This record gives sequence, structure tokens and C-alpha cells, in this order.
Amino acid sequence: MPEFTSRRGLLFGAAAVSAGAVLTGCTSNESKDSEGDTSGDNKQAVADDKPGKRVTIGFAGPQADHGWLNAINDNAKSRAKKYKDVTLEATEGSNDTAAQIGQVETLINKKVDVLVILPADGKALTQVGLKAMRAGIPVVNLDRIFASAQAYRCWIGGDNYGMGLNAGHYIGEKLKDKKNAKVVELAGLDNLELTKQRTKGFDDALKNYSNIEKVARQAAEFTVESGQSKMSQLLQAQKNFDALWNHDDDQGVGALRAIKQAGRDDFMMVGGAGALSAFEEIKQDRGVLKATVLYPPTMAASAIDLARALGQGKGIGGMAEFEIPASLTLYSAVVDKDNVDQYMPTGFK
Amino acid sequence: MTQPASPARPVTEKSAPADGDPGPWRSLAARVDVRTLSLLGVLAALVVIGGVTEPEAFLDTDNLQLILTQASVIGVVTVGMTFVIISGGIDLSVGAIVALASVWATTVATQDYGFAGILFTAVVVGLGCGLVNGLLIAYGGMVPFIATLAMLASGRGLALEITDGKTQMVTVDGVLKLGERDSYVLGIPPLVLVFAAVTAVGWLLLNRTTFGRRSVAVGGNAEAARLAGIDVRRQRLYLYLLSGLCCGIAAFLLIILAGSGQNTNGNLYELDAIAAAIIGGTLLSGGRGTITGSVLGVLIFTTITNIFALNNLETAVQQIAKGAIIVAAVLVQRRSATT
Amino acid sequence: MAPEPPLLTMSGITKSFPGVRALDGVDLRVQAGEVHCLLGQNGAGKSTLIKVLAGAHQPDGGTIAWRGDEVTLRSPIAAMRLGIATIYQELDLVEGLSVAENVFLGHEPTTAGFVVRGRDARAAAGALLKRLGHGEIDPARLVGDLSAAQQQIVSMARALSHEVRLIVMDEPSAALDPDEVDNLFRIVGDLTADGVAVVYISHRLEEIRRIGDRVTVLKDGRAVAVGLPAKETPTRAVIALMTGRNVEYVFPDRPKPPARPPAPVLVVQGLAREGEFEPLDLELRPGEIVGLAGLVGSGRSEILETIYGARKPTRGQVRLEGRVLRPGSVRAAVRAGLGLAPEERKAQGLLMLESVTRNVSVSSMSRFSYGGWVDRGKELRAAREATRELSLRPDNPAVPVRTLSGGNQQKAVLARWLLRGCRVLLLDEPTRGVDVGARAELYTVIRRLADEGLAVLLVSSEVPEVLGLADRVLVLREGRVVHTAPAEDLDEHRVLDLVLASGRHGPEPADLASTGSASTGPASTGPGTTGPGTTDPGTTDPETTDPATTEGSPAS
Repeated sequence: MPEFTSRRGLLFGAAAVSAGAVLTGCTSNESKDSEGDTSGDNKQAVADDKPGKRVTIGFAGPQADHGWLNAINDNAKSRAKKYKDVTLEATEGSNDTAAQIGQVETLINKKVDVLVILPADGKALTQVGLKAMRAGIPVVNLDRIFASAQAYRCWIGGDNYGMGLNAGHYIGEKLKDKKNAKVVELAGLDNLELTKQRTKGFDDALKNYSNIEKVARQAAEFTVESGQSKMSQLLQAQKNFDALWNHDDDQGVGALRAIKQAGRDDFMMVGGAGALSAFEEIKQDRGVLKATVLYPPTMAASAIDLARALGQGKGIGGMAEFEIPASLTLYSAVVDKDNVDQYMPTGFK
Repeated sequence: MTQPASPARPVTEKSAPADGDPGPWRSLAARVDVRTLSLLGVLAALVVIGGVTEPEAFLDTDNLQLILTQASVIGVVTVGMTFVIISGGIDLSVGAIVALASVWATTVATQDYGFAGILFTAVVVGLGCGLVNGLLIAYGGMVPFIATLAMLASGRGLALEITDGKTQMVTVDGVLKLGERDSYVLGIPPLVLVFAAVTAVGWLLLNRTTFGRRSVAVGGNAEAARLAGIDVRRQRLYLYLLSGLCCGIAAFLLIILAGSGQNTNGNLYELDAIAAAIIGGTLLSGGRGTITGSVLGVLIFTTITNIFALNNLETAVQQIAKGAIIVAAVLVQRRSATT
Repeated sequence: MAPEPPLLTMSGITKSFPGVRALDGVDLRVQAGEVHCLLGQNGAGKSTLIKVLAGAHQPDGGTIAWRGDEVTLRSPIAAMRLGIATIYQELDLVEGLSVAENVFLGHEPTTAGFVVRGRDARAAAGALLKRLGHGEIDPARLVGDLSAAQQQIVSMARALSHEVRLIVMDEPSAALDPDEVDNLFRIVGDLTADGVAVVYISHRLEEIRRIGDRVTVLKDGRAVAVGLPAKETPTRAVIALMTGRNVEYVFPDRPKPPARPPAPVLVVQGLAREGEFEPLDLELRPGEIVGLAGLVGSGRSEILETIYGARKPTRGQVRLEGRVLRPGSVRAAVRAGLGLAPEERKAQGLLMLESVTRNVSVSSMSRFSYGGWVDRGKELRAAREATRELSLRPDNPAVPVRTLSGGNQQKAVLARWLLRGCRVLLLDEPTRGVDVGARAELYTVIRRLADEGLAVLLVSSEVPEVLGLADRVLVLREGRVVHTAPAEDLDEHRVLDLVLASGRHGPEPADLASTGSASTGPASTGPGTTGPGTTDPGTTDPETTDPATTEGSPAS
């Protein structure tokens, strides 16, 4: 089982780097693996598009009941299809923690080579992540982070705080010459940690601009309906303001609808996430929406890349290290009229 | 039991003060519904609170339009729900039906048929779901709670299946226009007109037609209704059809309002509609309820949400206060009903 | 009778429900214009039979002929179309609808088929109520706001709102005062004079004597006698047919009063509820049965419920074994040792879907549970012991209580309090809906409980029952105790005179007004007072002279 051996080797190397206790169960193969490692360490191959060893990747995500999550699934699936050497075992998405744990356990029993998990709830799925790692299956943890670093080999995800920060800076720069500028925030689901991080980043950025005051904040629910409802109330409450940051482009559809219904165009709006409809709106440059801050669903494609590399025992290009990093935080770029064309293909519906 | 013969028929009423003649005062009080009054009182208090805390934003025409518009979608659903609860049933699937109808009516294929296609599809999907609910409950002998819970799950599932989680933008101008200012009739948004019409029809249906009588009878005493010659099963079927129809109409209103269809639409409508009906004085066990009360219940909720949003309060505070107001409103009503 | 075929002929009707053969070949023949009485114990099949007749149940076998032609009564509507109307004892009205809406439920006068002509319905309902001698009932009132007696009238109006040829009345007098019963009989007379047949069901044999023409007796799903002459058949023979045995002594013997009466266990002092009953003093000793006699609305049930804590008194107190009970707290009352068998057994007393065991043990759960776990074996044994002591049938506490007859359901309620070890039993209409044979047994049980040291406070609208069972009787009128006496010193006529006294009774009560002083004003009357009581002119005068007779004006 050469495939098996090389994977072990890779993992052992990773353990050395991250000083993890991950591989305590693999000691019996130590000498043999060490040999394999030594050769790998010197010239670890970098993953590329060329077909390599066959890898079966298990993918478990939440139910795609939202545009962004749907884009995650699409990105993962289309990326996997691109590689002839990758077989994707995707589970039916579920928002139920217990159901998702069951799905991951099934994948472990099927002995997939690598797991990509976007947990419905990061904390709740930590145990099953640990279980996979103990079973020798490396886990790529997508976006919602596990409670323990031992439960994943590599974490890749967006930067909620950075999203708020970049949105704040973008708005701040646009308004920096305006006296007593007012901004309004339409947040996402308030009981999610990520919403708080986005708001904190936004507030921190605004602290750099003493002429700007945040005058109102309401929380919608990432849905069009709630976006329309909360935005129309915000517009009624704030008869004039200069800029609006909306956390999520899906609820932004509703927010834009409310703005149109209220007949308002006296402010600029910055969105979040990177939906195709938002990109198109920005490109046309006819309404209030001037920019959106990315929380790229392409991270799922990257996660497949990472999983394939892990499965084939390779590193990733463009870095000095042989090993794949333990954690990758994506940059939340601001997309506006000037660079929207470049991002258009990544926009999700 | 024998008793002495008496030449004149004795007056019996006075012997029972507890169930004697109501007297002029009580019959007057009975005519003016105490519950409705107390609800109007709550609404008036909210208007005062809104006016004091946010005099400029709260007390203007735009805001009145806003509150009524926001109340329209859930209001139409609540009218249907009120009938179902009065008849002793419950419809947990209203939110799911709204979601399913709104996404089905906004698929690319449907939008090809334009305005009529969207309206027709929304209404037919609503009626179809209501028909399934009604058949399961009336003829399949299922408990309403379970049958509509099943509809909730499968309706949401189907809505997700149709959309793939994507937001379906409406491209039909005629539909989009209805949600915008140009379409207001004498300052009244079309959505509010539909809401008012549904309310009026609902009121007439409940208070002036055999359908209404039979709904109350089925909820108040199903066996008595059956013995009175009412086809209880068919009546139940009609009631869930009615609720489904209201959901279909509400879905169309929501499409106009949001300019799109999304599978997350109608989130927790079932709870909002039930709460509004209960606040409005509808007995959860059936047999009693009013359309006026339910609509006032919806308006109270919408006004609360509006006041909190205008005062820029956090969601958590809004939810706590909303719960407290539900309890307070019900308590106030019970007090005024017993005294 | 006439050579023409009978109005209704039911022959060989059978009907089974899962596990029960409710009707086993019943015959019933009813002529136009007669009052045909249907007698039988609970569970004899009366209700099933009339539901078959009303089209609410489909018979498994047998034939129904209407004026000589065989018919199938597929639904209640089909029966109504033929002219068969039924006044049910319960399940009949929708409380959330108005009087007029109830009367025309299912056949409302409409425009365009579904818009109800409310005004027409109210006018027509008003006319029907007037015809029934109750023009004072406002057709627009909610039925839920009416008294039981008034609801009965509404049921009757509903039956008459159809074109009727046959009316079935299921215990129509159960909820009625004697006056109302007279009125009912007058209506029945009017109907039969018009050629309408009446099938009359009642437990009260006297009533059947008064208005019945013929009697059909059901027992165990069979007709044991068909078409007996109602006036001539001896009562004892009828009871024998119903029960299968002769009922000689309906009431158990009273024990001799002890030489030194024990200290009272329950002491009620000045207890009152405004608008319901005036200050009441009462002492109850162990082993004693005290009866409260009075009309519907005289405050008898209210008194019971106030003592029990289900209603909060406006003044006064209740002491049990010297300890004052917290007013308005059922919990306190139950803890102290009070038990109530309520009038509405099904609605207030029993968990109809649960087993006898659970119904019996529900008030004593702490005795069978340890840290929340119920010892079901112990529970079952205790329930069996309690129900055996009361000879509850069937002797199987696992059966659901709804399958029991009325008398045995009442025993289940009693068993609950027996198990709880209560000291004072409050019985509100303990024999309502219990048939004659079973009543005697229930009386024996109640007396035995008293003999074992319980104190019993009994409310009943049936005067003979109070007189026969109680040791001491308090006569109530309009919320006041007007007389207190040992039961032996009273007879039915005397009690009826007392409860019907005051000007309402017409010209007669002049003799009563002169029989005593005002000394029995309730606040001043101690328990056990035996002097003849009478009205207190000061308080009754306004009532007496009140010309507000409009609402109950004698019917024409």
C-alpha cells in the first residue's frame, strides 16, 4: 500500500512542523515512515494540474439554503471535477449538528483519503474532526473553525473582522473630506459570532476617521425578506446619511429593493460577500451600491486544492515551506467599479 | 320530580342571578367587544410611545405606509390562520407554503408568463399545499399539528430544491412596479389594499356567511356541528384550502415587496401568525375568534418592530420586549374579559 | 292505534362498536302524536339508538321504516329531511355562536346560498323561543353565556326550527328546574296535539307517568319491553325491567345518632360570595351527611366550590379540624383533607381518556412516587383496593374511565378521595346521569363512607335524594339558607314550598310568609337549627315586588 505509506509520511512531517500530538497512534510505523519523510523533505513536490495519484476527498458541508453556501458547494464540486485524479464524496448538506456528525463518521468509515469539512457549528463538530485525524485522515477545516487545532490539519477561511475593517476603510476614504459624515450599518444575524466580528472590524476602521459617526445599526437575517424589512425601517429612521455598509449581498437584494421603494439615492452603499448580482450592480454603476467586500466562496475550491495536495503528499506552490500551512486566512478584498471585471467570474448567484 | 301545580307560570329568571338577564349595561358592554377595545388601547399606547421617542420619524405618512406595508404579508397569512384556529385546527406550514409559492412563482420558467404567470402560480401552489393539508387532516384522519408539520418540512425542502439556495430575482416590470411609489393609489400602497381586501373578505366570510358559522361550529363543538348536519370533514378541507390560498396571496405580496423569491422567505411566519391570532383573542382550542382582533394583533407586532428599529435598539432587546408585550397583551385582555 | 302504518318502525336494529355490542336487535314503534318514553340504565343502548335514529350512527343490521316505507338514514341531514329532530343531552350547542346561529346551524336562511341573513335568523329564532315560552332569551346572545336551562331551551328551539314529525328528547329535564319542567311538558303537549311524535328519554319515572303514552325499556342493548302503557305499568315493574331486579329500599338506613356527637370536623363561619350566596354558617361532624337542597341558581354549587377553595369568598372562613383554610386555594383545601366530586364529572372530575387507576391515584401521587418515579405496582394495588371497597364495576382498574357507566365513574371519583384519605367529602349532584339501579348502590357507598367517619356535604337538585340520604338538610333559596332541619322532619312538598317561596311563586305562598319569624337570617342561624325558617321580608321584598316579570312572563 504505497499510497497509504506516503500519506502517513506526509502527516508525520506535518506533525513535526506543528508540534502536534496528532500522530501518537502511528508510532509503530515510525522507522519506515521516517525514511519516506527524509526523501520527501528534500524535494517535496508542489501540487499542479497534472494528474497524480488518485485521491478520494470526502466533503461535508451545511445545507445550502443561502447563496453563499450554495456557492461553496458549487466551487468545491467544480474544482474536484477539474482534476482527473480526484474523486469527491460529497454528503447531503445538513444544518443539523447530529446529522452532520453522522455524515462525517460515514466518510471516515468509508476510509476517504482527505476530509473537507464546513461544519454547521464549528464547536460541535470538533470531536468528529479529532476522530478523523486520529484515524489518520487529514482534515481541511473550511471557514467555521473547530474548537481545537488538533481537529484539523489545515484551516482555510474568510476574515470577518477584515471584512468589516476593509469596508470601514473604503467608506472612510470616500468620506474623509466630508464634515460630520454619517454612516449606517445593516448587519447580519446578530446571534452569530461572525456578525459581531464584522461589526467590530467596521467600528475599528471608522475610529481612524474622526469626521464619521455611525448613527444606526440594525440586524437582518441574511435573507432578502429581512433585508427589505430592516432596511426600510432604517431608511425611515435616518432621513439622511452618507454611507451604508451591508454585511451580506443576499440580504442586500432586499435592502436595495427597500432603497428603491423609498426612492432614496443620497448615499453610497457597500456590500459584503461578493454575489454576482452585486457585482453587476457595481459594474452598471447606476444605483447606490458602489462596492462590496469579499468573503470569497472560492475558498471551497482552494480547500479542494489543499486536500488534493495533502492526499498526494505534495506542498503548494509559491511558498518556501514544503508543507501546507496549518491555517490560511483569506483577504477580504474590496471590489468596486475599477476591479469588478476581474472578480465577475467568482460572483455567486 | 313532582312539584305543586301552580296556576300561573312562575318567573324563573330571577331565581338565578348568575345566569339571569344581562341587563342593559352588560348587553351594551357585550356589543362593544372588550377584547377589541383593549387591543386598540395597546395600539394607541404604542403610537404614543413611538410618537414620544421618535416624533419625526414615527409620526409621518411614510412611516404609516411602511408599517402597513410590512404588516400586509403576515397579515394576509394571519387571516387564513385565524380561520383554521377558530375551527380547532392549526397550520404550521404557512411559512413554508409562502416560501414554496414565492420561489415557484419566480422561477425563470414561470416568469416567462409574466405578471399573470407569477400571480397564478403563487395562488395555485398555495391552494395545492392547502389541499394536501386539508385532505390529510379531513379525510386522512391526521392531527393538524402533524400534517402541517410534515408540510412545513417538505415545503421548505422543495423550495430549497427549486432554488438551490439561490435568490431568484424578479424581472417582470409589472410585478416590480407594484412595490414602488408610483403605484400607490391615493397614497395607499397596493400591498396594503390587498391586505385590506383580504381582511374585509375574511371578516364577511366569518361573520356573515354559512362558511363562517360552520367554521366556528366545527371548532367549538365538532360533534354538535356534525349532528347539526354539517359536513365537518369537507368544512375542514375548505379551511386548510383557505389558509393555503392566503399563503399564496401572501407569497405574491412578498414577491412584490422583496422583488425576488427566496427559499428562506416566510421564516417563522407560523409563529408570528399564531401569536397575532392569539393576541387578537382567538382561542387556541377553537370555537372563538375574530378577524378584527387578529389584524390588530398583526398591527401591534409590526408597530413594535417599527418603533424598536426607529429607536435603533438591538435585536435581542426587540425580541425580549416583543415577548413581554405578548404576555402583557394577553393578561390585559383576560383581566378586561373577566371584570 | 290507527290502521295507517306507524310513523316510525325500527326493527331488529343492531350496532357494534369495537369490543361492545351496543344494540342487539332493538325494536321501536312510534305512532304520530304520542309521547313514547325510552327507558334504560346508562349503557343500555338508549344513546346509540337515538343516534341511529338521528342518522349519526349507521346500524349494522335491522330496518327502519318511516310511515311504512323503508328508509336509510345516511346522515343527520337525511334524518332531518324526513322530519326527525333530536335534542341531545350534551354535545349539542356551540358556545361561541349566538342563540340564533345555533338554532339555524346547518340550515341558515341565506342569500345566494352562503350569505347568512342574520336578521331573519334572529327574528325566526326569537319567534321560536317565544313559542317555547322563553321570549326573554336574546337570539343575539352567545350560547356560552346562557344558563344550562336556557341552553336546553335553545336546543329545543333548534329542533323545532326544522319541519318536525318526530322529536327525540334525551333527558330534557335534567338541567331544568321544576318550573321549567312544567313548561317543557306544556310544549310536549302542544307538539303531540299537532300530531308530532315525541320520543322521551328520562331517568325520572314520575315524569314518564305524567306525560308518557307508552314505554319501551332497553336493557343491555335489547328491548325488554316494547310499548307498555306508561300510566298503568307499576313503577316497581318498570324498575325491575330496567335493572333486572326489584329495588325495594333505595336509601340505606340512617344510623342512630351517637349519644355524644363528635366534635365538628368542618366549620364554616360567615362564608359569603357577593352576588352568589349570603353569609353561611355550617358545622359538619364526622359520620354525618348534610344535604343542601335548592333550585338551580340557589347558590348550592357555589357554596360547595367556595368551601373547596375553587372560588374565593368575599368574606368568612372555613376551618378544618380547627385550622383555617387559606381562602380561594384548592391546594390548601385538598391538603387539609377536603375532597370534591364535582357536578360536571366529565369536564371537571375525571381524566376521561385515562385508566381508572390513574384517575384514582392522581390526587395521591406522592404516595406512590419516589423522586419522581411512580411505583406502578403500588399505585395499581392501592387503586384496586379503593375501587373494590366501593364495588366499582368492572373490577379492573386498568380500563379507561370513559368506558365506565355514570355510577361507576362517580365511584372512581369517590375512590380518589378515599385513597387520598380525606376527611370531608363534598358531593355535587353525585347521581346526575346515574341510572336508578346504580343510584341505590351509590347511596349505600356514600352512607358507608360516612359510617367510617367521613363527613359528607351533599348537593342535589332531586329533593327525595337529599331527604333520603342526608341526616340534616339546609334549604337554600336565592343564596340564603331559609331552613335547616333533620331530614326526618321534612318531606318533599315542604322542601319544595320552601325553595319556591317568595312572590315568584304566585298567589300561594301566603301561608309560608306567616309561618315564622326572620330568626333564621343566615348569618344568625347556627348549624343544627331546627326551627322552621322562612323568608326575611327585608331582603326579599324588593324581589317580591319587582315587577320585572317581563322576562319570564307566562307563556300563552
